[in-house]
Amino acid sequence: MALNLIRKLMFSSLFCFTAATASAETFVFTAIPDEDETKLVERFKGVADYLSQELDVEVRYIPVKSYAAAVSAFRNNQVQLAWFGGLSGVQARRLVPGSEAIAQGVEDEAFQTYFIANTSTGIENAEELSALEEELKGKTFTFGSKGSTSGRLMPEFYIRDVFGAQPEEFFSRVGFSGNHTRTLRLVEAGTYQVGALNFQVWEKELADGNIDTDAVQVIWETPPYPDYQWTIRGDVNERFGDGFKERVTEALLNLDDQALLESFPRSGFIPASNDDYEPIRKTAEEIGILD
Amino acid sequence: MSGFDLSGLTASFGGERVIGPLSLTVKQGEQVALVGKSGAGKSTLIRLIHERVNRESSLVPQDLGLVNALPVFHNVFMGQLDKHTTWYNTLTLIRPFSRNRDEVRELLRALGMAEKLWLPTASLSGGQRQRVAIARALYRNAPVLLADEPISALDGPMAHLVMELLKERFQTSVIALHDVEMALKYCSRIVGIQDGQVALDESSKRLTATDITSLY
Amino acid sequence: MLSSPTVRTSLIFVAVALISLLFADIAITASNPWRDLGNFFLGVLTPNFFSSEGLMTALLRTVAFAFVGVALGSVCGFLLSLVYRFLPVRIFCAFIRAIHELFWALIFLQFFGFHPLTGVLAIAIPYSGIFAKVYSEILDEADPEPGRLLPPGTGTIAAFLYTRIPDCWVQLRTYTAYRLECGLRSSAILGFVGLPTLGFYLESSFSQGLYSDAGAMLILFYVLIATMPLWVKPKILPVYILGAPFFLGEGLPIVWGNVERFFTEDIVPSPLRDGEGLAGLIPWFNDLMINEAMPGIWNTVILTQIALVATGILTLLAFPLISNHFGGPVRRTSGHVFLVIARSTPEYILAYILLQLWGPSMLPAVVALALHNGGIIGHLIGRQTNGIRLRPDAPTGFNRYSWELVPRVYRSFLAFLFYRWEIIMRETAILGILGIYTLGFYVDSAIQNIRFDRAMVLILITALLNIGIDALGRYIRRKLALQTMPTC
Repeated sequence: MALNLIRKLMFSSLFCFTAATASAETFVFTAIPDEDETKLVERFKGVADYLSQELDVEVRYIPVKSYAAAVSAFRNNQVQLAWFGGLSGVQARRLVPGSEAIAQGVEDEAFQTYFIANTSTGIENAEELSALEEELKGKTFTFGSKGSTSGRLMPEFYIRDVFGAQPEEFFSRVGFSGNHTRTLRLVEAGTYQVGALNFQVWEKELADGNIDTDAVQVIWETPPYPDYQWTIRGDVNERFGDGFKERVTEALLNLDDQALLESFPRSGFIPASNDDYEPIRKTAEEIGILD
Repeated sequence: MSGFDLSGLTASFGGERVIGPLSLTVKQGEQVALVGKSGAGKSTLIRLIHERVNRESSLVPQDLGLVNALPVFHNVFMGQLDKHTTWYNTLTLIRPFSRNRDEVRELLRALGMAEKLWLPTASLSGGQRQRVAIARALYRNAPVLLADEPISALDGPMAHLVMELLKERFQTSVIALHDVEMALKYCSRIVGIQDGQVALDESSKRLTATDITSLY
Repeated sequence: MLSSPTVRTSLIFVAVALISLLFADIAITASNPWRDLGNFFLGVLTPNFFSSEGLMTALLRTVAFAFVGVALGSVCGFLLSLVYRFLPVRIFCAFIRAIHELFWALIFLQFFGFHPLTGVLAIAIPYSGIFAKVYSEILDEADPEPGRLLPPGTGTIAAFLYTRIPDCWVQLRTYTAYRLECGLRSSAILGFVGLPTLGFYLESSFSQGLYSDAGAMLILFYVLIATMPLWVKPKILPVYILGAPFFLGEGLPIVWGNVERFFTEDIVPSPLRDGEGLAGLIPWFNDLMINEAMPGIWNTVILTQIALVATGILTLLAFPLISNHFGGPVRRTSGHVFLVIARSTPEYILAYILLQLWGPSMLPAVVALALHNGGIIGHLIGRQTNGIRLRPDAPTGFNRYSWELVPRVYRSFLAFLFYRWEIIMRETAILGILGIYTLGFYVDSAIQNIRFDRAMVLILITALLNIGIDALGRYIRRKLALQTMPTC
């Protein structure tokens, strides 16, 4: 009855919104979503367990859907530590004064991007990108995420540098697959003819036998550049006690669980500093991603 | 005041005058029947009077003006919304107070439909709906009753019962009726309307049905 | 025929769509789209309901966000509807509903982060604007007579509660329930930007090619929506609404300093922030307009016009599927299933699926928009034809369709279509996040590059474009004297 319903409306409109909040002592970290989510969750749950053991605080990993979301969460102090790519790390540290790159993978000192092509294009591997200009022109091309270093920044830099044109002018169609695994799958399936991805993802998938090498192959490898790193906020010591930052750094550098390292895949972590990523910052400014 | 003295009553539809100008004085204790053929302007006159004496009157309009989605109780209770605070009214909407429930039930019992108290008005028959509107007017309990064909959908005995009740509860009233017998029986004064003018104004004691039939 | 204004208007729109097609990027770039589509359907037929322990939680969160968001939206919308006659209120409501839920979510993510409030407000804010408009239209329709009969001196609130509300109650309730269904769809897609609802897991499974997992999620979602009449009962509604806030998940704590920073720094155009003043603002704005806003607007408009006409065509093809005037019960049942699936799947999810399968171009977006919107209008028109009583000797088959039914429903068909014009545009803009070069693409790029000043300007432009189309749609409906009820 209308009467009953009105009564219900009145009660239900009195509902209160209670916001549950995580406890303040939890140390939260995130990572850029550069690969398939199940892989990321598996990998970083392991890291969370390891850190929580080493640091004696509750450690929680938060998965995010975009590179920018990782940077924003870090900037907003909702996470205090993050596994960033070169570009997202530079962005994050610009936005959070006092934050520091504390560790990088052994491989990240000299990281690379692989350009890959569907074999139906007939494009063969070349030493110099300029040698491929004729063949690449007018093809369809996919980057990874818009905020990725190896999937967007560096390949875009080399495309502009070598071909003297914006990617969307040079290729007939330019897309952003979202992450490296997807770039691989899209080029393998022929949805895009050419793509650019993180060389570690390629090598690991290749080793795991997940790539149909009859369908897709590497056509060019970029020169090395610095990439992924762990970045921590400058104010963690105030929140988690003196020397916390050093303890986190220590814990990451001492990480020697092979299975966990394998999942990154990195052979180990070594010290890093903000200055290591100056080349990335300059490149990003050059192509207009950073102001 | 419970009688009224109105002059210069006029109404037009689409530029054409349908009522007046006419004057009507009703003294306290008078029960006036408005008679005349349909289209003569009885309803319009009732509306005009209502506009002038709003605060003092209980109105039963021809189209009843019921809120179909509400139960009978609330439609009747609406007659006294001005007598209570907003909180009281709102609570009544959710859960009526027993005092009001008893009052309204009593009224409906007099109208022979006490058992319909909690039914939604939309589910009632035409005659029952008409009695709900009458109950609302009775509950309002204003000094003057203004009713437009209040018994048009009621059968014989029920029509008499309602007219009896209206006569008993309202000292002063103006009721538009097309049933001449009823008018003579329950009203003290007959006002005949023809082409928007008063064509007849007599005490009912001095009139017979045939005197009035000439208006039709 | 050609002199009839409705036919002329239709032809103009078809012509615009055909011209738009010349400029549109329509292609299937996947090398083997049908195999992928086949794999996908195989996945739907072999759903894996036990893939992730998170699935049930995700469903629960989807429902919780929908309930809290819609409840909050309906309360605020109701209050706004009481003052809707004032122009500033109307403009405010038009503005907040012109911005899509996903855009609101992207905005709130920047300062509330992954707090439940982000998802709740992303639904509640645009819904308030929509509720305010529709509620006020419903309340205006109430029978004014009982109000006039109230004793003079009756309080405004009592008068409102006794005469207006009961008269409109059924319509208000029906519309709110309908919005709850829309809320479930909105809630589901919020997962695509990281909130813990169904879209979050759907996106993960899909991008990894786990079609059986994705199929299970879609099936659960359809079941959830199709069974709404069974589990959404007026009697237990208060329980849901009171309980829902406790099932939104924990998220991360809000840091209020971020809110202040967002409004006082982040969205201030960078030349002003860097002290370059107005001199720097003009080139900044020009650059934004020429390189992002203009291409975005162009693509959004083109795609909208094509999708609008495609929706119309699909509707005309689809409504006989559920009309009593054609076919037997078997065909009608399968028709119903098809239309339920088409309209229950959020266009964003449809577009996402088709983009994965066919590769990037405007085609997946057009098909997704046409399927979803055509499903909604086709259902309404089909139901309307069931109310038509044909003479016993009426023609059958195609003649019945073209001579008896289409002429009778054509006006309301157009009314629905023009009503949804603005909705289609809002959706078109948002599909840019998936990589089609509409306004959403540029908004997403700006956010990915942490340039919220640019993102805000682009969102404002999108909102203005929507308000413009909304006004134009209303103008055409008024010109052609078309009336319709609201849809979402």
